[in-house]
Amino acid sequence: MGFLMAQTALKRKVQPTKKSQKTWGQMSRQWVRRIVPFVSVVALLALWQLIVMLEVYPRFIIPAPLEVWETFVEVLRNGTLMRHIRVTGSEVLLGLLFGLSIATFVGYLIAKLPFLEDLLSPVIVGFQSTPVVAYAPLLIIWFGSGTISKVITCAVIVFFPTLMNTIVGVRNVPNNLRELMRSLNATPLQVFTKLELPAAMPVLLTGLKTSATLAVIGAVVGEFVSAQAGLGFLVTQARSQFNTPLVLVAVFAMTALSLSLYLFISLIEHAALEWQRRSTS
Amino acid sequence: MKAITRILLATMLAGILIISAFGQDELEEETLLLTFIPNIQFSPMYVAMAEGHFENAGFDVSLEYLNEPDVVDLVAAGQNNFGVVSGEQVILAASRGRPIIYVYEWFQEYPIGIVYSSAMTVESASDLVGLAVGIPGRFGATYSGFNALAASGDIAESDVQLEEIGFAAAEVFCVGRIDASVIYVNNEPLQINNLAEQGECGDVESVNVLRVADAIDLVSNGIITNQDMIDNNPEKVAAFVGAYNAGLQSVINNPLRAYLLSAEFVDGLPLDDDLRSVIETYADEQDAFLESNPSRDQIMQSREDLWLVLSESDEFSSNDLIQLQVLMTSIELWDAEQLGFSELSSWENMQETLLNLEQLDDGVDLEAVFTNEFLPTDE
Repeated sequence: MGFLMAQTALKRKVQPTKKSQKTWGQMSRQWVRRIVPFVSVVALLALWQLIVMLEVYPRFIIPAPLEVWETFVEVLRNGTLMRHIRVTGSEVLLGLLFGLSIATFVGYLIAKLPFLEDLLSPVIVGFQSTPVVAYAPLLIIWFGSGTISKVITCAVIVFFPTLMNTIVGVRNVPNNLRELMRSLNATPLQVFTKLELPAAMPVLLTGLKTSATLAVIGAVVGEFVSAQAGLGFLVTQARSQFNTPLVLVAVFAMTALSLSLYLFISLIEHAALEWQRRSTS
Repeated sequence: MKAITRILLATMLAGILIISAFGQDELEEETLLLTFIPNIQFSPMYVAMAEGHFENAGFDVSLEYLNEPDVVDLVAAGQNNFGVVSGEQVILAASRGRPIIYVYEWFQEYPIGIVYSSAMTVESASDLVGLAVGIPGRFGATYSGFNALAASGDIAESDVQLEEIGFAAAEVFCVGRIDASVIYVNNEPLQINNLAEQGECGDVESVNVLRVADAIDLVSNGIITNQDMIDNNPEKVAAFVGAYNAGLQSVINNPLRAYLLSAEFVDGLPLDDDLRSVIETYADEQDAFLESNPSRDQIMQSREDLWLVLSESDEFSSNDLIQLQVLMTSIELWDAEQLGFSELSSWENMQETLLNLEQLDDGVDLEAVFTNEFLPTDE
């Protein structure tokens, strides 16, 4: 909801001159669009409460929203929630850092050297087509139960989408622009920094948004297999103690973490692609 | 004449089919919820199904394997009527308002222990201080068992380097990342010993186990049902428990027959033609022996003799026999003078462990979470 609103806000900012010319009808429609996401959340909460009141399931299977809220406040106050969010968050950031760096580098090389694509594609596609949850237990055995195995799980899960976006982004640079750079005697580094990187940026950032949410899944999968802290661990621990409200708090925290990353990258995207919007307008 | 015979035969066949179809309708479908995966350790369920004990009691049973908390919640919510979970789950679930009742104690001995190289000297939990000890996770039977054992040796969890390794004790132990590991005594030590015998466990030549059951009596895995079943269908609970009890007794009496029957339920159970032939021969001999109404001690002795003959035979490798060994070791944890009986003291010990672990805020009324009233009587 937050990032959708942010995107709406960003769109509005792109065309400031038109705002003053908007009619009353257009403005009301815009307000409605802003309110709609809240309506869906409120409706979901109401439906949830209704299910609880109708006792469709026992309270220990579906606790009331208020019960979950109280648990949220409790674990927020005593620091439990933030401790687990910090652990998962750092695994996600490290996983993104490694995964994105390696995938972008390899993706660029593949985009430039088709031979490398022929060489690596069976391994990369094979790796990607295997669900990470299947080999996550092996990562624990190979790299231990600490942070490294979770970081590797994240890195592996973000690798493929980033790689594909890098290849597509670099290969989509128009040939006439490459020829123009060549005719201006641009060095390979200049071609990369002045042409390829800016041209590939929209695709790369789109891939980054997908990767960020996937990275949270990677970290949580790793924590499910074996961990001493983190949101995945919190779910396992809460389940083993039959604390369903805490399970839901941990799940919502994962959602919030994913959305925050998505929103953050959307803001980076907005700032990084300012030049593109200016040139378009 | 031939035509009349054919008509008669066809009529008889149709009659049999109709009768059997009606007969099947009378069976009540039940999904028994288990944990883990299909495994020889669940042979009592397989045998109760294969030998028709459940069917004779009026049930058409199928099995489903889930996580322990899911088993508890499905039974508590009345979506399933029976499940198998460990005792501490029952106490924790009761403290969170789940209306479940433990009606049959399958494991008479708590199956958790700590495996370590036999080159080390470990006589009690206090000898573990400073060592890296693996554990599947900080939850469930292994965690409760470890803490109970630690308390018996007057050490705290922080006195060892407790490392969460998932369910990969054999692999992690054998690559030398940990010095010891919390395990199920009827499974991992046998796997590790097997690897050690083949020289695939680093410097480890064999392993020993420090058993929780030797230090403290804790309630272990058993059958649960929900309060609704107890209140409204007590006869079904008794029938189900009785059928399971018969399956368990069959396994204890003739583990080789149980192994053969379990092969239908457990994919990949080692059983090539040679092994099958030998096991069938010994299983038949055991059946003949059982006809003489031997005592419990005599049956126990016969099991030991059977295992000795098989394990000392050059015909089969340790890999061929490992699952049979798991079964034989498990039987030692199940067998008792009265199968299924639950002691209040074992529940009290478990509750105290959970309170010490702060997994439980307040104690629950233990006499309300288990009962022995559905156990089959001698007749």
